[in-house]
Amino acid sequence: MGVPFEWSYVFEYFVKLLPSVRISLVIVVCSLAFGLIVGLVVALPRMYRVPGLQRVSQVYVSFFRGTPILIQLFLFYYGMPEVLKLVGLDVSKVPSLYFVVFAFALHIGAYASEAIRAAANAVDRGQIEAAYAVGMNGRQALRRIVMPQALGIAVPVLANLVIAMLKDTSLAFSLGTMELTGKAQTLPTLSQHFFEAYLSLAAIYFIICFALEKLFAALERRLLRYERRPVQEAKPAYGRKWLNRRLPAGLDLPKEGASS
Amino acid sequence: MKLDPAFIWTAFVELLSAVPTTLEITAVSVLCGFLIGAGTALARLYRVPVLRQLGSAYVTFIRGTPMLVHLLLVLFGLPMLIDSLAESLGWPLRSVSIPMIGFVYVAFSLTSGAYMSEVVRAGLLAVDRGQIEAAYAVGMTTPQALRRIVFPQAFAAALPNLSNSTIGMLHGSTLAFAASVVDVNAKAQIVASTNWKFFEAYIAAAVIFWGLTIAIERLTALLEKRHHAYNRGGVA
Repeated sequence: MGVPFEWSYVFEYFVKLLPSVRISLVIVVCSLAFGLIVGLVVALPRMYRVPGLQRVSQVYVSFFRGTPILIQLFLFYYGMPEVLKLVGLDVSKVPSLYFVVFAFALHIGAYASEAIRAAANAVDRGQIEAAYAVGMNGRQALRRIVMPQALGIAVPVLANLVIAMLKDTSLAFSLGTMELTGKAQTLPTLSQHFFEAYLSLAAIYFIICFALEKLFAALERRLLRYERRPVQEAKPAYGRKWLNRRLPAGLDLPKEGASS
Repeated sequence: MKLDPAFIWTAFVELLSAVPTTLEITAVSVLCGFLIGAGTALARLYRVPVLRQLGSAYVTFIRGTPMLVHLLLVLFGLPMLIDSLAESLGWPLRSVSIPMIGFVYVAFSLTSGAYMSEVVRAGLLAVDRGQIEAAYAVGMTTPQALRRIVFPQAFAAALPNLSNSTIGMLHGSTLAFAASVVDVNAKAQIVASTNWKFFEAYIAAAVIFWGLTIAIERLTALLEKRHHAYNRGGVA
C-alpha cells in the first residue's frame, strides 16, 4: 500500500467501472421481479388467515429477516446443488449469477411480503365493503380497488427495499459474480491504487441510489394522485380575525338578563 | 455428497467460539454509532451552522453507499491517512501496528452512525413540544429538561428503530471477513473448507444468526414494555 493517492485514477476507474453497473442492475431487477411475486404468494396466506400456510409463511419471513443476506447467499450457493441433485438435476455448471438472483429473490420476498401486508391493511376497510356493495366479487375488489391504493402506500417502503437491495448486491462478488464491487476489487491489482477504485465505486453507488430515490418520489406522487390534497390547509383563525368572526347563522346567543 | 446432520451440530459448537467476536463488533458499532448519530442529529435539529450541512452530507453519503464499500474505503484509506500524518508529525505510530479489527470498528461505527442519526432524530421529534415547555414552566434548565423529560420519552419512541438498526448491524458484521477478522461467518467458511462440508456449516451459521436476531427482538419487546409504562392509558 505504498502508492500515494492520485485523483486521475479515480476518474479512470469510474469510467472503467461503468459497464459493470449493468450486472448489478440486472441482479436488482430480476430478483425484485421474482421477489415481489414471492412476496405476494407469502403474504396472501397471512392476509386471508389460511390455517397451516399462515404458520409456514411466518417462519419463512422470520428466517429470511433473521439471517444475514451473506449467509443466505452461501447457503443457497452450496445447498441448492445438493438439494437439486436429490431430484436428479445437475446444476453444478450453472453460473453463480443464477444463485445470486435466487437468494436475493427469496430474501426480498420476505421483506416484500411484510410491505404488501402492511399496505393492504392500510387500505380502508370501507373501500372493500363499498366494492362488495356495488356488486364486485372478491377478486375484482382486490384487483380494482385494493391493489391500486395499496401500491401507492407501498411505494416508499418498496423504494427503501430496492435501495437496500442495490447496496446488498455488493455482496454478490463473494460468490464470484463480477458486478461492481467485484470489478472494483480486481481492477487495481496491477496499479495497486485500491483506494481510488473504491472511491469511484462509492460514487457510482451513490449516484444510482440518488437517481432511484428521485424516481420513486415521482412514482409515489403519480400513484397517490387520487388523494387530492387541499392546496393550502385552512389555517384556524386566531387573534383579531377570531374576535371578529361571524357566528354561524341560527346560533342565538342568550341575551344577558333575559329570563324565561 | 449427502447432507450430514451430525456435522451441523459439530459446526454449531465450533461456531459458538466466534459468537463473542460478532457480538463485540455489533456492540461497538452500535454504541459508537449511537454517539455519532446523536451528535449529528442534535447538530441538525438545533441547526448548528456548519455542522448541520456536514451532518446532512455525511448521512446522505453513508446511506447511499453499501456497508462493504465503507469498510473497503476505511481499510485502504485510513492507513494511508495515518501513515502520512505520522510521517509529517513525527509520531512513532504506523498503521501496520493497528489490529485489523480496529478498522472494522471504525468503518462500522461510521456506517451505523448515519443510520442512528435518523433514528435519534425521529425519536426526538416524536416527543411532544409541550413536554419541554412544561419542563421549562416548572423551572428546569435545558439540560435537565432534555435529560429528565425528553430523552426517556424519545428512547421509548425510538426503541423499535433502534432494534432494527441493531439487527442490521448484527447482519452487517458478517462483512468483517473482508478485513480477515474471524467472526461467525468467517469461522463458518473456515470450518466448511477444512471439512469440505459447506452446506452444513452455513446451516449452523444461519441458525446462530437467527437465534441472535430473535433474542434481540425479545429483548426489545421487554424493554418496550418497561419504557412504555408511562404511556399505557386506562386506569391504574
